[in-house]
Amino acid sequence: MFDPPLAPANGVRVCVIGGGGTGAALAYDLCLRGFSVTLLEKGELTSGTTGRHHGQLHSGARYAVGDRAIARECMEETLILRRIAPDAVEYNGGVFVALSDDEADYAPVFTAACVESGIPAREVTLAEARAWEPAINPAARRAVWVPDGAFDAFRVPLAFFAAARRLGAVIRPFVEAVGFDLTGGRVRAVFARPCGSTRDERIECDYVVSATGAWAGAVGRLAGLDVPITPAPGTMVAVRGRVSDMVVSRLAPPGDGDIIVPQRGLSIIGTTQRVVDDPDGILPNDDDVAFLLGRADELCPGFSKRPIHAVWAAARPLAGRAAGVGRSISRDFMVLDHAAPGSPPGSSGMATLIGGKATVLRAMAEKAADHVCMALGVDEVCRTRDYVLPPWREYYSEGNYAEGATLGGRR
Amino acid sequence: MSDTVSASAAIPLRLRIRDGDGYAEFRVEAEPHRTVLDLLERLRSGGSAVPAYRHSCHHGSCGTCGAVIDGVEALMCLTRAADLAAPRPRLPGGPAVPPERDEAGAVIVTLEPLSKMTVVSGIAVVPGPVFAGIPKGASYLRPASADGRASLPPDPAEAVADPGAWRPDGRVRFEACIECGLCVSACPVAVPFIGPAALAAVNREREKRPEQVSAMVAIAAAPDGVGPCGRHLACSRVCPQAVFPGKHIQLLRNALASLA
Ligand SMILES: Cc1cc2nc3c(=O)[nH]c(=O)nc-3n(C[C@H](O)[C@H](O)[C@H](O)COP(=O)(O)OP(=O)(O)OC[C@H]3O[C@@H](n4cnc5c(N)ncnc54)[C@H](O)[C@@H]3O)c2cc1C
Ligand code: SF4
Ligand code: FES
Repeated sequence: MFDPPLAPANGVRVCVIGGGGTGAALAYDLCLRGFSVTLLEKGELTSGTTGRHHGQLHSGARYAVGDRAIARECMEETLILRRIAPDAVEYNGGVFVALSDDEADYAPVFTAACVESGIPAREVTLAEARAWEPAINPAARRAVWVPDGAFDAFRVPLAFFAAARRLGAVIRPFVEAVGFDLTGGRVRAVFARPCGSTRDERIECDYVVSATGAWAGAVGRLAGLDVPITPAPGTMVAVRGRVSDMVVSRLAPPGDGDIIVPQRGLSIIGTTQRVVDDPDGILPNDDDVAFLLGRADELCPGFSKRPIHAVWAAARPLAGRAAGVGRSISRDFMVLDHAAPGSPPGSSGMATLIGGKATVLRAMAEKAADHVCMALGVDEVCRTRDYVLPPWREYYSEGNYAEGATLGGRR
Repeated sequence: MSDTVSASAAIPLRLRIRDGDGYAEFRVEAEPHRTVLDLLERLRSGGSAVPAYRHSCHHGSCGTCGAVIDGVEALMCLTRAADLAAPRPRLPGGPAVPPERDEAGAVIVTLEPLSKMTVVSGIAVVPGPVFAGIPKGASYLRPASADGRASLPPDPAEAVADPGAWRPDGRVRFEACIECGLCVSACPVAVPFIGPAALAAVNREREKRPEQVSAMVAIAAAPDGVGPCGRHLACSRVCPQAVFPGKHIQLLRNALASLA
């Protein structure tokens, strides 16, 4: 039963722009802390990057050599998500496999970094790994078990939306933020345009958080801000059938085409990376398909013989501005406060939350909500770890949604 | 789809997308492997005023992108231009007929919102009727067969798992149903009926969890349970996930009969 004790309503109005996983978790966190929350999403919920991600619930193993803190946070968040959204996670563990000499040499470095990050990784014999998942390349040199999993890119955020709405958040899909009232150098209101309408609404608010991912640069510009964001799309290819139940990754520093995430009736190889100017309407590069299938065959021979189910692309919101290819930019996330130089943090009435991974959506929201509390002088702690979320189905099945009342559209 | 990356000729399409009482029309040249959703996304990012539509995963997992495409419910993210140019049924289970073309030879494609659902705008709907009848707390995980494989290593999170949550032992997968509601839209039953998606979920819950059998059977036996189903099988024909809701409804009928 989802019935968390509520902080007393503080009457402070926060407008969250962006209905991806980050916005979902932030709306819920702010509601628990007593804020009055309105969330705007220009399309359907999770129609940006979130719904399209690869579906890997990252134990953090992939990031451990590069950054122990990111890895540790992933591990903590996987355990939390598995507790608070248990039905939206296919947890079967994962295996990293080394195919070359270099990769074999990397195994002890990798395993040690995982253990230092609190990830209970351990090297196993290839025979053991192949007993779990016979699809793994018999020519692999070494294998390391990690507590990776797969999660539903749509249903985890939807459970957060269901929770937020239950606590009073006004969730408005198909409503786009198109401008700001910045009278006196501070955000006073957001101008919002429902899809199919030509009339803008004025949404009064005390603070705005832009959780617009790869769109954060464009939304920042609406407020006259320079938000350093690089949209970096990657392609994924889903084939029919399951090559494995475990996530199978390449035992090497993060690169392209090095993870197979099985999910429901599919096996998905990803990803690639390029940099674009506009995150809207990105389509997969056709060249990526042959490349990804070839890489998948190295991990699990025969992958490419399966029928292709879908090919698609999603844009990473990379923090910083890239020249060339973007993978070296940190994957960590940040809360950018837009106070003018010399003014106290929070004084602009707006912050942008960018970066991260879907796995850490709750942690990102926690940091952003902490920032909102600091900026507005509210003294409430984060409690989103503590309660099992309501079922995602509640988002569409409850109350006037089931009867089909409007979602802020024109009817 | 593996042949689609080869250079095949672009297919001229005339997309007619429901927008209130009329249609918004767009003429596009589509590579055969592009999906309807890809085409809408490309039009929208190019600045065209495309009527609203739902989408999220782009690979047939989330269940948001259903539409009635030329008379038959389908997922826009899995329907390719090549499919539109080939002979297809115009109603669930109907005979395949060649595509309709305009005077310039473009394939005419009509997109309507799913029926029985409230339209937000364009072809975007609120899928309330799909979800309303699914039992609260129906489990979404199912056990996966080990198929002779070794059992998986112990789960380091066992200690933190919510004791109230039901989880199958061993390997798990999500249920096949993606809650897209194509079956609900296609179902011709017009009296109060919780519908094929809900009944498929009810039967899965009955099959998986012995302690739920009596509650699930009661849902099936209610006046809006299996009774109104007229065995039209439109649900099973349009289901993109081979759930075959009609089969689950029959299994529920069998369970009711054996208890009677
Ligand atoms: C190829 C790829 C694979 C990935 N795989 C994984 C993975 O396996 N595991 C993992 O944990 N993470 C993965 N990620 C990362 C993860 O997908 C993202 O970090 C995460 O989804 C970002 O969520 P978000 O809510 O911040 O952004 P988004 O989901 O993009 O949400 C931003 C939202 O803002 C909306 N918006 C934009 N402008 C406006 C406006 N003006 N008004 C209203 N709304 C607006 C957009 O429509 C969008 O829905 C992957 C990313 C990519 C690109
Ligand atoms: S049974 Fe099939 S058509 Fe119906 S909601 Fe589930 S996946 Fe969609
Ligand atoms: S977009 Fe998810 S099923 Fe089509």
